Amino acid sequence: MSNELNERLRAALRPVDPGEAFTQRVLARIASEPPRASLPAHRAARALELRWMSGALLAIVAAGLLAAHQWQAQHTQQGQEARRQVMEALRVTSEKLDLAYRVVKHTEHSGA
Amino acid sequence: MNTSARMLSAALVTSWLAVVPPGIAAAGTPGTLQLPNFEAIAGKAIQTVDISLDTSLLSMAAGFMDSSKPDDAAVKEIIGGLKGVYVRSYTFNGDFQYPEADVDSVRKQLSQPGWQRLVAVHNSPGHSNVDIYICTVQGRASGLAIIASQPREFTIVNIVGSVDLQKLHQLQGKFGIPQMQLPDSKPPAPDNK
Repeated sequence: MSNELNERLRAALRPVDPGEAFTQRVLARIASEPPRASLPAHRAARALELRWMSGALLAIVAAGLLAAHQWQAQHTQQGQEARRQVMEALRVTSEKLDLAYRVVKHTEHSGA
Repeated sequence: MNTSARMLSAALVTSWLAVVPPGIAAAGTPGTLQLPNFEAIAGKAIQTVDISLDTSLLSMAAGFMDSSKPDDAAVKEIIGGLKGVYVRSYTFNGDFQYPEADVDSVRKQLSQPGWQRLVAVHNSPGHSNVDIYICTVQGRASGLAIIASQPREFTIVNIVGSVDLQKLHQLQGKFGIPQMQLPDSKPPAPDNK
């Protein structure tokens, strides 16, 4: 009984040549599959793209900050200049009001 | 737009700019004078003050004054009611180097309704002349003009808006503003700065 089973198992599990057709099919299928190396390349491209975008975003933010700083500096300069001009205008105005008074006083003294 | 149309537009804009003097937008505001172009005499002057401050510049200047400081607060209060400040002042090396025609063109504007001469002082020996005019609209002061001429100096001041001479007087002795000896005025407290 055990010999018979042993024989049947050997017969069932004997090496069989798959044939030339099978080999061709396997080779054809390997050739048709996309190369496995293309996936990491895609990911690398995506990473590069993200890196460029981050760089561009940083550059835009930096340019914005620089522009804001320049605007602030210019605004401050204009404000200080306007303030200086107001003071100068008030100085000239007061000076001329004072001149008017001095002339009046001088005239009064001359007439007296 | 074709080239000829563009050239026509440019010519129209250029001619408008040539005809319309600067400050025309403000000319409609009561109390505003149309100041002549003093470029010619500015070249001869040894010292020039040319100040044109419109509402936006005045408010910008006010923004740079510290309200917590009494002096700044006083100036801020004065300029708060103003719409414009225009000063032209020229100092020369020689006597009477400024054209009387330009001065007369300003005086002519001051003879128009609304303007009233407050003070006219003319000192013959010293050739010092000062005319102070005020523009009133519906009983309210809306402008001040000062024309001051001395042999070597010529000044026009035009302040547009609500002018309070008393407040201006309070600034004496500060910011380089001379100490005025107006009648009935007490000397200001010494500045501890």
